[in-house]
Amino acid sequence: MAGWRAPDLPQPGARQPRTPAPPEQESTIVNGTATTAQRRPLPTRSLLVQSAWARRRDRKGFWFVAPFLAFFLVLMLAPLIYAIYTSLYTTRIIGGTTFTGAANYTQTLQSGEFWSGVIRVIIFAAIQIPVMLAIAFFFATMFDLGVAKYGTLFRTIFFIPFAVPAVVGAVMWSFLLEPQFGPFVHLAHALGFANTDFFSSNLILPSIIVIVIWEWTGYNMVILYTALKSVPRDVVEAAILDDTPLWKIIVKVKLPMVRPAIVLLVFINTIGALQLFTEPQILSYFETQAISVNFTPTLYIYNTAIAGGQTQLAAAAAVILGLVIVVISVGSLFLRRRRGEI
Amino acid sequence: MPFPSRHSWPPGSRRTATRAMAGVAAVAAVSMLAACGSSGSSSASSPGSSKSAAPAASGGATLEAGASCKSSSATKITFWAWVPGMGRAVTEFNKTHPNICVTQEDVGAGDPEYVKISDALKAGSGAPDVAEVEFDELPSFEVTHNVVNLVPYGADKYKSDFVPWAWKEVSQGSAVYAMPGDSGPMAFYYNSALLAKYHIAPPTTWAQFATAAAALKKADPSAYITNFSATDLQWVMSLMAQDNAWPFAYNGGSKVTINWTGPAQMKFAAYWQKLLNAHEVNGTTDVSATSFADMDKGIDASWLSSAWGPSYFAPDAKSSVGDWRAAALPQWTTGADVAANWGGSTYPVFSQSAHKAAAAEFSEWLNGTTASWNITKTAPSSLFPTYLPLLNDPSYKNTTVAVSGSSHPDQAFTAAASNIQGVPWPPFMTEALTESATVFAGVLDGKETLASAFQNFQNVLVTYAKQQGFTVST
Repeated sequence: MAGWRAPDLPQPGARQPRTPAPPEQESTIVNGTATTAQRRPLPTRSLLVQSAWARRRDRKGFWFVAPFLAFFLVLMLAPLIYAIYTSLYTTRIIGGTTFTGAANYTQTLQSGEFWSGVIRVIIFAAIQIPVMLAIAFFFATMFDLGVAKYGTLFRTIFFIPFAVPAVVGAVMWSFLLEPQFGPFVHLAHALGFANTDFFSSNLILPSIIVIVIWEWTGYNMVILYTALKSVPRDVVEAAILDDTPLWKIIVKVKLPMVRPAIVLLVFINTIGALQLFTEPQILSYFETQAISVNFTPTLYIYNTAIAGGQTQLAAAAAVILGLVIVVISVGSLFLRRRRGEI
Repeated sequence: MPFPSRHSWPPGSRRTATRAMAGVAAVAAVSMLAACGSSGSSSASSPGSSKSAAPAASGGATLEAGASCKSSSATKITFWAWVPGMGRAVTEFNKTHPNICVTQEDVGAGDPEYVKISDALKAGSGAPDVAEVEFDELPSFEVTHNVVNLVPYGADKYKSDFVPWAWKEVSQGSAVYAMPGDSGPMAFYYNSALLAKYHIAPPTTWAQFATAAAALKKADPSAYITNFSATDLQWVMSLMAQDNAWPFAYNGGSKVTINWTGPAQMKFAAYWQKLLNAHEVNGTTDVSATSFADMDKGIDASWLSSAWGPSYFAPDAKSSVGDWRAAALPQWTTGADVAANWGGSTYPVFSQSAHKAAAAEFSEWLNGTTASWNITKTAPSSLFPTYLPLLNDPSYKNTTVAVSGSSHPDQAFTAAASNIQGVPWPPFMTEALTESATVFAGVLDGKETLASAFQNFQNVLVTYAKQQGFTVST
């Protein structure tokens, strides 16, 4: 699971924990900024003075990362370079291929179609992520407190939607929400909402939000649960001895301590939202006119390349979307570093 | 969601349906729900099974059969098509042509197939020798010089065997770029019991049609004279062709005329907008479970359908079985006899083929012989011919289907077949179809008028055509 998420986040050295289990919690809470700032330059300096033995050991290490590097070069770096290269050309039905420099970039930057998709996914993220994290935190807390019987069983059940491939999940939800036979439409009807059409232009985004929340809450919950588990016992015990009410322990003690995990999830989910593709694409096969060709930036890229045959324009749009994601990732990195979370 | 999914479901098509006779994968996904439990009619032109066979379109069914394939010296031909039951004709060909072995592959219906062909053509290898390509898509392959002129391979001698409009649409000047296959002549397909109940005569002109629409609305506020599916571009364009409001002119090469905003087009838009505004026509997606349910429940009194329409509707027809009749499309001029075509396929040979002569021989046999049509006219293929010997066959015209009772709907459809004017498709229909779903979406829910959608569409297409290097006139 971890491997395919790696490209989304620039890794600041290997020190960033994949799951944000907070190993340096105490220092973070007390005064994270100072400690990390002092420690940071050390690894670089030690590289310069490393011994011959250490260098030989590094060469051995190379062979361990070689398989990853090979795939990274072939499947990540090479396509990326090719996309940038090809985005500088334009192939026309009449006239063939010519070098057009930045023309594809200016066209994308000026394209209302592309940016309306970007704005849509930002609205999507602004609603979906907080709601999902609230639900995930609630259940993570329930499991952490152990108030639920058969916790392991239920944690597994909650995690299952994540194990379902997104395509399968989207097809399933499409049938559930389908306006003619879908059970949810009948349910809405029974509740007094006649003629509910989950595929209409007004309800399509909320429908996708529901689908995505269903798919991803379990995953986010597991990460938060892990973070909650690593909250030091003595801190909680001290709070209990002080007669702190339960809700206060959750909100004032545990929540701040898992904040790094929440921040990380917010950024991971934001990047994911910018790449929203599978659910709207599948829904569009179900006679949903509400999914426009530029519904999300990735759909715009896909349709520009496939239907319009403008692969180079699509490549330019993909590079721009990639840059937007890089800006968000780097921004989050700086933010978190300043707060001393990494 | 969020995280990039590398797997995509059958990629490609955003269009509502692929108009060739069979294999509407996307629609079938929903329609199958309705089809469940209803047994398909076994009659020749009522392929109830075509729907259940459709999902195979997304698969990669490969068929290689027939005597010739057992011989290693036979020329190997690859053939891409999605019509269910097409393999039967391939097997027959292989049996009767010992020197050619045709292998059929189903790589998806419509767009998914075109995308794969385009990619293979760009890559320089991997394209099929022969493929099923819809009429509207053929010029896109002509303009890039990727299909072979079949005249040197003897295609001309088949010309007199085909309805003129179909031959015209596969020709460019003296060149013939594909053999025409099936087609979809349109007719006014109506629920005779519903119209009779309110004493409404089937309209023969569009003026009468509008009057009938108002009369029906008055008699039964929940009913509509028909469904107007603005997002189904091919269907809208077919009706425009019948109204002499075709929005394109194209004769091959780099010049194209795009005109969605001329007087004829605006008149067409105004006619339908009036009916839409008065809620006298329904506005749902056509060839869908919803539209078929509306027809069966007596909400839609008619469907401006094509020859393949009844067989798509048949599995969903329950309470209205036996009531459906076909008549000529209403006319814009009293006494005229103008029809339109909606859908259908052609079978070009690709320039990448290493065996063009053998490929051309197969395409000519598949579309230009009675031996082949006797197979493909039957279920589950149920192709409606452009091939005159079959069109003129009285026993074909007089076929009955359960959904139409004892009437002969194919009489209207075969009559329409000879009243169609061939149309010049622009060489960028994939883009047009994809964009149309977005541009016309607002018409169905009343957020924009048909005229303003035409205007927007004009802008989208002109911009695209110019970007692609065409000299565009409007």
